[in-house]
Amino acid sequence: MSHILSAQNVNKKYGNFQALKNVNIDISKGKIVGLIGPNGAGKTTLLKSVLGLDSCDGELKVLGIDPYKKRADLMKEICFIADVAVLPKWIKVSQLLQFTEQTHPNFDVEQAKYFLTKTKIKMNHKVKELSKGMTAQLHLALVMSIDAKLLVLDEPTLGLDILFRKQFYDNLLNDYFDNERTIIITTHQVEEIEHILTDVVFIREGEIVLNANMDELTNSYFEVMVNQDHYEEAMKHKPLTMRKVFGKYIMLFHSHSRDVIETLGEVQRPSVSDLFVALMQEEEQA
Amino acid sequence: MKTFKALLIREYWEHRGAFLKTPLIIGAVFTVILLLGYLTTDRFDLKLNSGQAVEFGVKALENMDPAKIQAGIDIFMLSTESLYHFVLFIIIFFFLLGSLYDDRKDGSILFWKSLPVSDTQTVLSKLVTATVVAPLIFTAGLIVSHLVFFLLTSILLLLHGANPFTILWSNINYFTNWGAFLVGCLAQAVWALPVYGWLLFSSSFSKRRPFLLAVFAPMLAGFAWYWYNALVNLDVIRIGVFKTIGLLMAKGLQPFTSGLGFTVEEIDFDPSERTGMELIQSMLSGLTNPSVYYGLIFAVVAVALAIYVRRFRNAT
Repeated sequence: MSHILSAQNVNKKYGNFQALKNVNIDISKGKIVGLIGPNGAGKTTLLKSVLGLDSCDGELKVLGIDPYKKRADLMKEICFIADVAVLPKWIKVSQLLQFTEQTHPNFDVEQAKYFLTKTKIKMNHKVKELSKGMTAQLHLALVMSIDAKLLVLDEPTLGLDILFRKQFYDNLLNDYFDNERTIIITTHQVEEIEHILTDVVFIREGEIVLNANMDELTNSYFEVMVNQDHYEEAMKHKPLTMRKVFGKYIMLFHSHSRDVIETLGEVQRPSVSDLFVALMQEEEQA
Repeated sequence: MKTFKALLIREYWEHRGAFLKTPLIIGAVFTVILLLGYLTTDRFDLKLNSGQAVEFGVKALENMDPAKIQAGIDIFMLSTESLYHFVLFIIIFFFLLGSLYDDRKDGSILFWKSLPVSDTQTVLSKLVTATVVAPLIFTAGLIVSHLVFFLLTSILLLLHGANPFTILWSNINYFTNWGAFLVGCLAQAVWALPVYGWLLFSSSFSKRRPFLLAVFAPMLAGFAWYWYNALVNLDVIRIGVFKTIGLLMAKGLQPFTSGLGFTVEEIDFDPSERTGMELIQSMLSGLTNPSVYYGLIFAVVAVALAIYVRRFRNAT
């Protein structure tokens, strides 16, 4: 089994609305993939299919399993946080741990208790008594105590304050991630996760418009600070986007080599969010 | 198996208030009524007869034919049990109506579905909770309530110098009266199974208000059937669907009603007419009624549909 996830010609229609169009993607072990797209682009639809929460057409295999047909089997090997605060409100922390231990063969309850000792969460707390941030901590503690091959996070930090968000990703990276695991993350706060990603996938109107690893991106997209002197020449190279800051032009180029670009000005690595915006605009014009 | 047990315990945790506290609260209520009744009688008696009437009453009890005391206790136990069945059915009704809807409403379904538990197991755990777990908890609650009530009665008898063992405890038909409640729960579950299945389906399928679907869709079917017969077949007294629904609801609410027939005339229950043993026999023989098997088929289809819908409906 070479790929953790493989999708071939995956389509999903809701009535007349085509939510996913011929999605082809392979994700291999040890990656942290950011799935990025505007609202309504089909991120959640794709993840729902991957998690077996909804059916789809085409060939979709997660760990070699058809997710929709065998969700219960698949969930032994993968886990997900679909949104913050989806833990049942009425349950006690101790009950949550007990239930997960009874139903999940790969859950380590001692590990979860250890993670919780580092937070303010007590075993006799009910979920409804916890703040949104604490609920996310609890959910993360639970998920990090499951020995899963794939972790899917769909907007896991939406609505949390910046301290919790930072801590969330720090914990994930330091205490959980290793090369045996794979993580797929969607979020709107791209800038917070781009330093931990190994790959990015851009999705737009149900189609995958970019699927690349971060090294490829840095070798083919360049952000350049161009002086007024070089403006004319730079424009010849057709920048993807351009914005003016303090009398200089910041241009984004797609190019196969750095050599020519370097003559135009100071070269930087573009941020994923700038790249995202550029590619989305390019698609719109095309 | 371990998973299924965990699912049942999970239901108990979530609904402990309804399943466990309700029977105890009802028990507490009739114990308090007993106490208030006694105190009022006692005070009136003291004022009017300087306490003689109660003395005479206790004396009369001591000399009463045990068969009559037994019959009285039977009536008390069976009629309270009848009330417990009624309340249990209402609680199960709303439990099932919310069982596959509430977690979609608050989004927690996404957590439950992130665990290796199949939708079939989830739906069946709700059904088993309704048919087995909740009735057993209610039975325990009923027995505790009865015992508390009898203990209090014993104390009152002792206060007046009577022997509670000869008057009360030796005259209780524990086995048949509590057995009647347990068999009643079985009859209730079997007769109401199509209703339970329909509630599960409504709960799983409904996007906004499971109650409306659960209640109005069958009503609509009833009306359609009635008017079809009235207009096409010119048969204005045929009430087919309504009758079936009515009888199933009556059996669900009152399993003590005669289990032998399946007609409207037989759905009344008078605890002074029958003993616990007779009730048990009539309920058990009622379960051989062919209508039960048609209901079973309906229930299987409805539960299967509930599971089918549960697989892809994750939101409201």
